[in-house]
Amino acid sequence: MVTKQHRWLATLYGLLPILSKLSARRWKAESDVIPWAPARIPLPEASIALVTSGGVHVKGDRPFDMTNPEGDASFRVIPGESALPDLTITHDYYDHRATDRDLNCVFPLERLRELAAARRIGRVAPRHIGTMGHLLGTEERRLVTETAPAIAQSLVDDGVDYVLAAPG
Amino acid sequence: MGLIAREIERAGIPTVTLSVVREASVRSPAPRTVFVPFRLGQVFGEPGADVQQRAILADALAALLEMRTPGAILDLPYRWKRSVYRDPLA
Repeated sequence: MVTKQHRWLATLYGLLPILSKLSARRWKAESDVIPWAPARIPLPEASIALVTSGGVHVKGDRPFDMTNPEGDASFRVIPGESALPDLTITHDYYDHRATDRDLNCVFPLERLRELAAARRIGRVAPRHIGTMGHLLGTEERRLVTETAPAIAQSLVDDGVDYVLAAPG
Repeated sequence: MGLIAREIERAGIPTVTLSVVREASVRSPAPRTVFVPFRLGQVFGEPGADVQQRAILADALAALLEMRTPGAILDLPYRWKRSVYRDPLA
């Protein structure tokens, strides 16, 4: 099925070379929009922040809104010195039973501290970021226009050198 | 996750993004993606598996300085419980 479709497309492209050129140009345009900041600082000198879309936040902080079917595009600040028992997960769209036992499964703050203590990284950043994935419609747009730029700015303000982003 | 990573990178901070769903990383590429064949909810490994979690964390951070192509996906050579994880602190 795939082969047949592939052959059909190859024939079409063969007949119309302009299609190949347009396609290549579009691909180039898309790849050009992936931003790139060169990594130049050795890890043992770098301040590193975690960004999770696993719905992690400080207990007592406002939980993510699970009643909006489009999700919740807001974000929560997680202080770097947080003890893991003081954090929790509000996110109904993935199985977080393992993470409820050990938050490091999605948010390895304790593992990051161990790397810092061993001088493998410079330091744990003062603030980390919790969001929830699976956004739709208005909330997805809000993530693009408001939340993501605000997250980026807060990390810049903290002098963060590198970010490790991970899903729930 | 790719969208947030791109925005952070645009602000000048290099990012690395862990992924367990390859299609999502292809659809919305992050500047640097590190793929592990693990399950959602355990992207750094199993509960209590400190060495496994440290190995994934250290490998993902090392990728920051190793990866050179925007949008590329680096596959880590692990197979969940069947792999032997070397402790980066050992």
